[in-house]
Amino acid sequence: MRLTRRDRLVLFAPLAVLLSGWLGLPALLGLLATFTTYSPFATSVHFAGLNNYVAVVQDLQFGAGVRNIIVFTLVAVPLELALGFALAYLLRRPIRGRGLWRVLLLLPWLVSPIANGVMWHFLLVGATSILDFGAGWVGQSTVASPIGDVRLALPTIIAVEIWREAPFVTFLLLPGLASVPNELWEHATIDGASWIRKVLDVALPALRPLLLAVILLLVGLSLGSFDSVLILTGGGPGNATVTPALYSYNQAFVINNWPIGAASGWLIAAAVLGVGLVYLRLARRSATG
Amino acid sequence: MNSLHARRRRDAAIRILLLTAAVAGFLGPLAWTALASFGLLPDNSTRPPSWTGSITLDHFREIGIAEPTFWQELATSTIASACAAVLTIVCSFLAAYGLARSRFRGEGLMTQSFLVLASLPAMAYVIPLSDVMRRVRLGDTFAGIVLTEAAVTAPLAVYVLHGALRQLSPEWEEAAVLDGAGLFRVLGQVVLPLAVPSVVATAIVMFVLDWNLLLVPLVLTSGDIKTVPVAMMDFFTFERELDWPTAAAALVVSLVPLAILAGVFHRVLERFSLDIRRTT
Repeated sequence: MRLTRRDRLVLFAPLAVLLSGWLGLPALLGLLATFTTYSPFATSVHFAGLNNYVAVVQDLQFGAGVRNIIVFTLVAVPLELALGFALAYLLRRPIRGRGLWRVLLLLPWLVSPIANGVMWHFLLVGATSILDFGAGWVGQSTVASPIGDVRLALPTIIAVEIWREAPFVTFLLLPGLASVPNELWEHATIDGASWIRKVLDVALPALRPLLLAVILLLVGLSLGSFDSVLILTGGGPGNATVTPALYSYNQAFVINNWPIGAASGWLIAAAVLGVGLVYLRLARRSATG
Repeated sequence: MNSLHARRRRDAAIRILLLTAAVAGFLGPLAWTALASFGLLPDNSTRPPSWTGSITLDHFREIGIAEPTFWQELATSTIASACAAVLTIVCSFLAAYGLARSRFRGEGLMTQSFLVLASLPAMAYVIPLSDVMRRVRLGDTFAGIVLTEAAVTAPLAVYVLHGALRQLSPEWEEAAVLDGAGLFRVLGQVVLPLAVPSVVATAIVMFVLDWNLLLVPLVLTSGDIKTVPVAMMDFFTFERELDWPTAAAALVVSLVPLAILAGVFHRVLERFSLDIRRTT
């Protein structure tokens, strides 16, 4: 229907109020505050220029967090995509009990990140460890917990994240894969194409916009990693698994260093918005081309 | 043709095999947790390791002893997530329809911007948000949690619903307008009935996202009101660590409602799609 000006107002106003009031306005006020010594408990506030940002960037712990999160994102996102795509590919055609398979394969994503951390804590540490159980069967004695090892802690955190997110990727990719016209698969099959060729020549071109959207969400999720790290390792051992989000949470809410927490939070936002700009360019190209 | 048929059957068998392996891998940790919640624990001291304990529901009772307010927190989580999901859907549905039926420059860019907004991690805005909410006296309130959760998940809902609504042909709406229907009658009697599967699917995903949020309720509250993820975090940060069977029982309790929801609505959930050019 043709919308009048009044219709538009009615349609857009609720969302505009919700988003500007609860996200836009606080974020902007917060951005302004990072250039001052503002904290909710401060009695006086001074202009601080870029001092907060300089302090964050010079903090070795934040540096460690940035390094960890880059490794985390570069490893976790491709593996989540590959695993999630593989599962969606297996489920794309009708199969006996497809609904049941899909629900079972979505379960890990339904576990909240914090519960995920709690669960893996018990699965990896102490008398209830699933590792010790497995090792016992092949005649080994106890296995040291990987989350206490400087070299293994980050890979373990990444593996736990992949376990939770890959099923979500499957969930997001499956409708797209299922809507690829059947003739395309049939032609490829009759031509004798291997499954690799089918993935590369049929599935990926058809899924490009959807894949871009999923990658954007996964990168944002990775760059903000917080919940399961908090429970599993608390950032340790040393700074081996610190993430920028954990760093800003600790600064703002644990040691009450509000300006540093807020400034580092904004650096996370800037990183994700930067990725978002790249996404907007790529999405536009795939819409027009 | 016959070899094609044989090849299909072999492919199907391989698919079942791979899917079984994947399900075993992904559900193994959850099965381990579920067993522990019913009192079946691994005994790693024997060779080979074995299982000990007998099946009991005691650990589910112990949750209420270790965390006296747990069942109340479960109710808070359920009601808050449901309210937030409904609020998100109402606001997003209206805006998504507005976007789908407007033609203006930069419309595509605007739609994609909602996805960028959806990808922002909570840590990016939660610090100033907690401060503002306390200053407007919405800290530690039910309304504060609901409104914030609704705002946090709204961008994703707008993106998905916009994709669904622009698939609908405007003809039905035009016919209703000719009959003299106003905006709300068109929305309620024409658009919504056609879009119900997508709307329900989006609402369920929003409910799951809200239910699992930790950071947002954590920084907005200081104990007066608690959601399940916040309670779980408290167990571990204040050194009153739970026994594994009790923690496992709490995990199972917090997962079961979502699993039932996903199981009941699994067909409808296929309509949750980020693919906004589905039919083109």
